[in-house]
Amino acid sequence: MSKKRVVITGLGIISSLGVGKAAFTENIFQGVSGIKPIATFDTALFSAKSAGEARDFSPEAILGPKGLRTLDRSIKLVASATKLALEDSCLEITESNSRDVGVAIGTTLGSVASISDFDREALKEGPRYVNPALFPNTVINSPASQVSIKFNIKGFNVTISTGFSASLDALNYGVDALRFGRAKIVLGGGVEEFCIQTFLGFYKSGCLSGPGAVILGEGSGIIVLEELDSALARKAKIYAEVLGFGSALQDFKKSMRLSLEEAGLAAEKIDYINSAANSSAEFSAREAKAIEELFGKKAGALPVSSIKPLAGESFSASGSLQVAAAISAIERQKVPPSMLNQAQSPMVEHVLINTGGKSGVNSSLIISKFKGY
Amino acid sequence: MDKRVVITGVGVVSSIGIGKDNFWSALIAGKSGISRITSFDTSAYPTHYGGEIKDFKPEDFLDKKKANQLGRASLLAIAAAKLGLSDAGIKLAELNPDKTGVVIGTTMGESQVLEKLNDAWVKNGVEAIDPQLIPRYPANVLSLNVAEELRLAGPNLVIPNACAAGNYAIGYACDLIQMDKAEVMLAGGTDAFSRIAFLGFNRLLAVAPEMCRPFDKNRKGMLVGEGAGIVVLEPLEAALKRQASIYAEVAGYGLSCDAHHMTAPFADGIKEAIEKALYASKIGAQSVDYFNAHGTGTPANDREECLAIKKVFGDYYKKLPVSSIKSMLGHTMGAASAIEAVACALSVKNDIIPPTINYLTPDPECDIDCVPNAARRVKVDVALNSASAFGGNNACLVLKKFPLN
Repeated sequence: MSKKRVVITGLGIISSLGVGKAAFTENIFQGVSGIKPIATFDTALFSAKSAGEARDFSPEAILGPKGLRTLDRSIKLVASATKLALEDSCLEITESNSRDVGVAIGTTLGSVASISDFDREALKEGPRYVNPALFPNTVINSPASQVSIKFNIKGFNVTISTGFSASLDALNYGVDALRFGRAKIVLGGGVEEFCIQTFLGFYKSGCLSGPGAVILGEGSGIIVLEELDSALARKAKIYAEVLGFGSALQDFKKSMRLSLEEAGLAAEKIDYINSAANSSAEFSAREAKAIEELFGKKAGALPVSSIKPLAGESFSASGSLQVAAAISAIERQKVPPSMLNQAQSPMVEHVLINTGGKSGVNSSLIISKFKGY
Repeated sequence: MDKRVVITGVGVVSSIGIGKDNFWSALIAGKSGISRITSFDTSAYPTHYGGEIKDFKPEDFLDKKKANQLGRASLLAIAAAKLGLSDAGIKLAELNPDKTGVVIGTTMGESQVLEKLNDAWVKNGVEAIDPQLIPRYPANVLSLNVAEELRLAGPNLVIPNACAAGNYAIGYACDLIQMDKAEVMLAGGTDAFSRIAFLGFNRLLAVAPEMCRPFDKNRKGMLVGEGAGIVVLEPLEAALKRQASIYAEVAGYGLSCDAHHMTAPFADGIKEAIEKALYASKIGAQSVDYFNAHGTGTPANDREECLAIKKVFGDYYKKLPVSSIKSMLGHTMGAASAIEAVACALSVKNDIIPPTINYLTPDPECDIDCVPNAARRVKVDVALNSASAFGGNNACLVLKKFPLN
């Protein structure tokens, strides 16, 4: 059985680098940073004071003023990114195509603010003062589910929690679902909100201070994955084709190798690597070493860049923002500027995206310029 | 992608028994795992009962020092995974680590860890938060901890699709085997008893006072439970080659989304998942011998589920045995459909259907055959495992006897 080809036909993105694809692309190519002093809460008690918050984001402007009252930030981020992606893809969900569309979202914390606040309210005020309408926000799959409810998407709805690699793992779940014929279109990607709980988690673990301090971000990227036939039939604009995916436990070399194998590409075909690097030195060195080992002599000349110095480390949403950067690179035929190395590529045909953190799953995805049949 | 996948091992940690044999004998005896909640003080709540596992000792399954560094949901999952592997007759040394993966479903993740963090935060402020607890919380640790304990390096995912998560995990694990991404998969679900879930369901007025009575006219709601269920999946050919004992074949599965409401169950969405599962399995509705229901015992769930059953099975619904083991275990959240998949596998293997206990008064809206109060010996070639979750997410798994004669 020949593999169904899967293409990317839409993109919706919200991050500290702005709302929508145009703002995001412009900022990563101009090297404009979204990192600013934290506005979500008072940082007086903490030595870390900056983050990449999505400040330009107004949920009301995208979703309208109604029905937002009980929704948390994760839901608003992912629902808004979905709306932008649907518009970008000229895709209208109707009763007749609703069952052919699926949702696969990567998030590991869900809305940890919602979960923690719900419990703390009971601890502080007593159980009977807790608002039952907020309970649905405490399940990790609530952001993804609200996307289906808001946009009437009935094919399937899945959430993937794999830490730093969750966006790519969710996209791969979507690709698999398309190949198994479970849908024709999958809205895939990720979401993480910036909140005091997430900040405290990373801060107390020692990730946000000292040498190699990480700066957190937030956001949501939704990528419209579509089987080629469906995209062609509706004359959708095609950004790129998904060629390969690989995943491994704490092993960038293996995840990259598997993605190349699935793509049927030799390592030297890769024109650009969008790296998982945040500021954690130990972890960046691990990825760099894996690239060196896998790409051999070419490694020095291979453009490698990370958007995290600009957008912040957005944990499970990172991969979705990185795919957006890769799409921009293919569109502009240019590699976003980098603090990692200054190499440029004469053309950008194949982009490899790396995700992962200090521990856990590493996933790699290859997306390529679409070249027709 | 047309590779056949079979279940060759089951592991379960539950309030009615730990390990397959204890679980199954309690299940067909109609034993209840419900007791007064002791893991936290319930005096401020309107209800006080749940399905806690009172006799689970992590050190029976892993190094005590290691166990002290992990959350309870991980510990339950590790125990179930080890029980499953040993039930499958697979020794760790025989596994190809790169080709053995773990997919775990959950609703609340390591809820108890977050609850501890919250206790300290509320009582004594940010300074009191114990940094050592933090890395134990994020949901992705569930499958990572299982993989680390068993030294497995294959596909590793957590699918937190709430109360249907186990079925999503088992379904995707089968996909991974069919795509040759793995040779053996450990798939299922886990949840530790969650104060947050208990609080939420109480606030929704969905919790029964003492007993869960699915399909009964006087049913008063669900009961929060905990547990873990894991199935060992491998390609049929590999299982035959190593002469493994086969519980059942995973004939197929179906997913659907109501796109309707976060908490209200919805017959049309449930129906769609069942129909997709039957279609994927190439099995006619009338060939189903046992329907393991989501059966939470809330008025709305059981009504909508019975409506969906009638829509799918037509007149045959009166002959179809439909039972809810949540009557015994309570609702084990993300573990529920995984434990129910274990029950289905055992039902197919043993030709016995577990009962719905606590059943007293028939409800015209739920006039299915709920196998009331006593297990039934009947040939079970095909069992269907239906699950629904918050967000309107439905997942249905079809298990088939192997060999089918």
